[in-house]
Amino acid sequence: LAEELWSAGLPGDLPELEPECRSLLAAFAEGSAALTGCLGRRARPVRLCQGCHGPYRRLLAQYGSIARAVGNSSESHNCAKSILTSDRLQIVVTLSEFFNETWEAANCANCLKNNSEGLSNSTEEFLDLFNKSLTCFEHNLQGQAIDLSPNNYTEVCKNCNETYTKLNDLYNHLQRMNRQGGESEHSAHLCIDVEDAMNITRKLWSRTFNCSLPCSDTIPVIAVSSFILFLPIVFYLSSFLHSKQKKRILILPKRIQSNANLVNIQEKYS
Amino acid sequence: MANVAKKVSWSGRDRDDDERVGETTPLINGSGPGSARQLTPSSFLRIGQLSNVDLNEDIHELETELPRQRPSEIPHNEKLLSLKYESLDYDNSENQLFLEEERRINHAAFRTVEIKRWVICAMIGILTGLVACFIDIVVENLAGLKYRVVKDNIDKFTAKGGLSFSLLLWATLNASVVMVGSMIVAFIEPVAAGSGIPQIKCYLNGVKIPHVVRLKTLVIKVCGVILSVVGGLAVGKEGPMIHSGSVIAAGISQGRSTSLKRDFKIFEYFRRDTEKRDFVSAGAAAGVSAAFGAPVGGVLFSLEEGASFWNQFLTWRIFFASMISTFTLNSVLSVYHGNAWDLSSPGLINFGRFDSEKMGYTIQEIPIFIFMGVVGGILGALFNALNYWLTMFRIRYIHRPCLQVVEAMLVAAVTATVGFVMIYCSRDCQPIQGSSVAYPLQLFCADGEYNSMATAFFNTPEKSVVNLFHDPPGSYNPMTLGMFTLMYFFLACWTYGLTVSAGVFIPSLLIGAAWGRLFGISLSYLTKGSIWADPGKYALMGAAAQLGGIVRMTLSLTVIMMEATGNVTYGFPIMLVLMTAKIVGDYFVEGLYDMHIQLQSVPFLHWEAPVTSHSLTAREVMSTPVTCLRRIERVGTVVDILSDTSSNHNGFPVVESNPDTTQVAGLRGLILRSQLIVLLKHKVFVERANLNLVQRRLKLKDFRDAYPRFPPIQSIHVSQDERECMIDLSEFMNPSPYTVPQEASLPRVFKLFRALGLRHLVVVDNHNKVVGMVTRKDLARYRLGKEGLEELSLAQT
Repeated sequence: LAEELWSAGLPGDLPELEPECRSLLAAFAEGSAALTGCLGRRARPVRLCQGCHGPYRRLLAQYGSIARAVGNSSESHNCAKSILTSDRLQIVVTLSEFFNETWEAANCANCLKNNSEGLSNSTEEFLDLFNKSLTCFEHNLQGQAIDLSPNNYTEVCKNCNETYTKLNDLYNHLQRMNRQGGESEHSAHLCIDVEDAMNITRKLWSRTFNCSLPCSDTIPVIAVSSFILFLPIVFYLSSFLHSKQKKRILILPKRIQSNANLVNIQEKYS
Repeated sequence: MANVAKKVSWSGRDRDDDERVGETTPLINGSGPGSARQLTPSSFLRIGQLSNVDLNEDIHELETELPRQRPSEIPHNEKLLSLKYESLDYDNSENQLFLEEERRINHAAFRTVEIKRWVICAMIGILTGLVACFIDIVVENLAGLKYRVVKDNIDKFTAKGGLSFSLLLWATLNASVVMVGSMIVAFIEPVAAGSGIPQIKCYLNGVKIPHVVRLKTLVIKVCGVILSVVGGLAVGKEGPMIHSGSVIAAGISQGRSTSLKRDFKIFEYFRRDTEKRDFVSAGAAAGVSAAFGAPVGGVLFSLEEGASFWNQFLTWRIFFASMISTFTLNSVLSVYHGNAWDLSSPGLINFGRFDSEKMGYTIQEIPIFIFMGVVGGILGALFNALNYWLTMFRIRYIHRPCLQVVEAMLVAAVTATVGFVMIYCSRDCQPIQGSSVAYPLQLFCADGEYNSMATAFFNTPEKSVVNLFHDPPGSYNPMTLGMFTLMYFFLACWTYGLTVSAGVFIPSLLIGAAWGRLFGISLSYLTKGSIWADPGKYALMGAAAQLGGIVRMTLSLTVIMMEATGNVTYGFPIMLVLMTAKIVGDYFVEGLYDMHIQLQSVPFLHWEAPVTSHSLTAREVMSTPVTCLRRIERVGTVVDILSDTSSNHNGFPVVESNPDTTQVAGLRGLILRSQLIVLLKHKVFVERANLNLVQRRLKLKDFRDAYPRFPPIQSIHVSQDERECMIDLSEFMNPSPYTVPQEASLPRVFKLFRALGLRHLVVVDNHNKVVGMVTRKDLARYRLGKEGLEELSLAQT
């Protein structure tokens, strides 16, 4: 009923959204629903930037058209004003802010092209390599799928080492590039997709497969460190034994020495 | 010495006269070979004793002193006063020249002088800020370079094996950098060692520490600090900023540099100790303010630690200087970091913001904070006691510069080794994502994780402090923190007192932050994760407690911490913590700076005379006999007195040169060695004046031009003829020196001396005759020890 009332165009007091504004709002609502769905579906494993940059861009455009829309020329029927700022809640603004913040926090701009149409080349390359190493993992695991004894991943480690190292190097390279280019603290991170992908791979590699077993050379380290720690003892002992102790020459001050004098004088003077 | 006495033949005659009469004019004569300190063989006092006091005992004493020609040697200990240190002349010599000049300056000219003071303060602030920026930027870059090299090396060898090479690389890098830093300090300017705060404290107290405010010292200090921080020692760059600020202040206010031999002919009015001291306290404040971004804290630091002489105008000027300094640092660093005019990075160390919800505190936490204060006090006292023994050992045995350099290198190597071993043994891995670690070391952690011990050890100490304050809960294992605290405590204690320029502020904060965080973690563990147990907050309190326990500052430290955190609500708990730490710490040993002042045998005057000293009078305190000069004195005598090496006196009472010896020759004034030297240099002799040989009258400017490095008497040539000339001192001496009667009690003398910043205080008898002289060393030798009043002995160091 209310819908009808509104569309009937009540005269005077009841404020009413102009048709073009209403369509803008509807478009925004749909766009945000699409983006929310996209974000939610791609939350784990994180594929936000790859999958949702389209909806995000559209939503941005829709919001922009609301903000820019002047409506029916007259000041009072301005779409931007009536949609964005006429109530306390300002839900459209809140929504768009939320999406913007999420996008910034994910640092998606980092792995998109400058015009944010599609992924940048380096990201593509990285994801390629990532997929390759995942397939490599899978492939090698299938070979020994029957006995999944936790420590027997040597096959994987041996066969996929090359891809993994490449992936790791590329990631480090990207990170370094990013650090050099970026000024503010925020852009020190790569985009969340890349970070998460690397994270997953690293975890698989060193936790699950236990591949990165660094050579631990405890004995040389102990030897060298105990040698260095031993040096000060030698130094202090030798300087204690051989260095000539610094002597101070006492100077005798010229003063009235005995208290008897003092008492005498005091008596005399008083 | 002996032949001087022979040549000056009239002195013996005078003495005979005096003895006959029983009253005396203190005279300037040669002395017997036995007296170690004084030239005068006959002085009022001895004769006075002969004539009216216990004859036998005094004679006996005179005799026993004579054979004791070879002075006794003892090992260095804390109960000594060094002869090396002299007083500053904080009391203006109000002689005729001075009065004439002051009279010439009219009201408007005084206003110009006042404006000049403000200009100087602004310049002090700007330059101090710039120096702080320079140190900060250079340290950041060099340390970054070093850590990157070592990190790459470790990363390389973690995969391949051979980590012992990384250890060697790290240790060698540290040791070689520290070697350079230590060498410049040990061989070029030893006074630049340490934080410089004790030295500045002494300077402001009125003790002239040789070379302490020279340009050379500043250069060495700045380079030394950079090198020792880059060398990875457990030191900070904040303390030395205070010294740097002071040197800058002393330099600017004089309008010239004696080291560079440049005289800009400006600010000549300020070329005396009194004015210079005021500027130095402004410089110290500017230094604190640049170091911590705490302008008010800087002013209060000057008030608490430094300035013994204070007034409101000075406070306001000092505040101005410190504000300018922090502003300069701010602007330059903001430009350097790329966000120009965003003035939000004050101070070399920025504790970061503490304003999130959970950083608040409740009334229940107050007892916990107080307990932390107690812990800080005990740990601080332990630190100081250990450092005391170490410093004593160093003074006695490690006094050769090469040994000092070797020691510093060893400490640097061991610091690196300890850090490496700790990191090597630690199994505390944290995910790298979302953390802001500057140099994440992976080592044995899984890929994508970093070693959390490495954030503490593999970093400059300032960064580690900030990490401990702000890293989210769970970034550190309790085990990691415990081991870190333990190791760093000993390292920092070992490092302080090395021959490198370095401060103790940051290491103390770091130790405190580590155990404070540990405390916070265990607290939240005990209370099953209560909301208020945020480890960062406890890290801050622990840092305050530890620093307070070591340096024992209260007011200024509270404000500095408050300003550095930018959080006024923490004022109350920080104050409580510092108060407790000081009370507890003072129960055991004194503060680190006071301890080092004492170990250096500096005649430092505290605020008050020792409490149990009322029974002592000026008569017992003073030095006697006194070397006096007559108002019109023979040049030869003056030269002889000045060039006598066994008595390095700096002030000489001037008495009436009355030919009629039957009359009382009372005290007429006081003249300083520096003034006499200037007089001799310009040959202001009566005979020359009579012959119109003197082109112009000596002005105050001549004295100022020689300040502060008066030439030694050896460099002044006086011919044999000139020795027979006479010199008239009446124009140049201070005609109104402060005097006390013999009966004045020690606290009274002390108060006069301390409050006016005197250098010489003449003791006179009822007839205004000079009986003795009280100097700084006479007062400073009384100290309240464990068993009541102690007397320190004088020693040559």
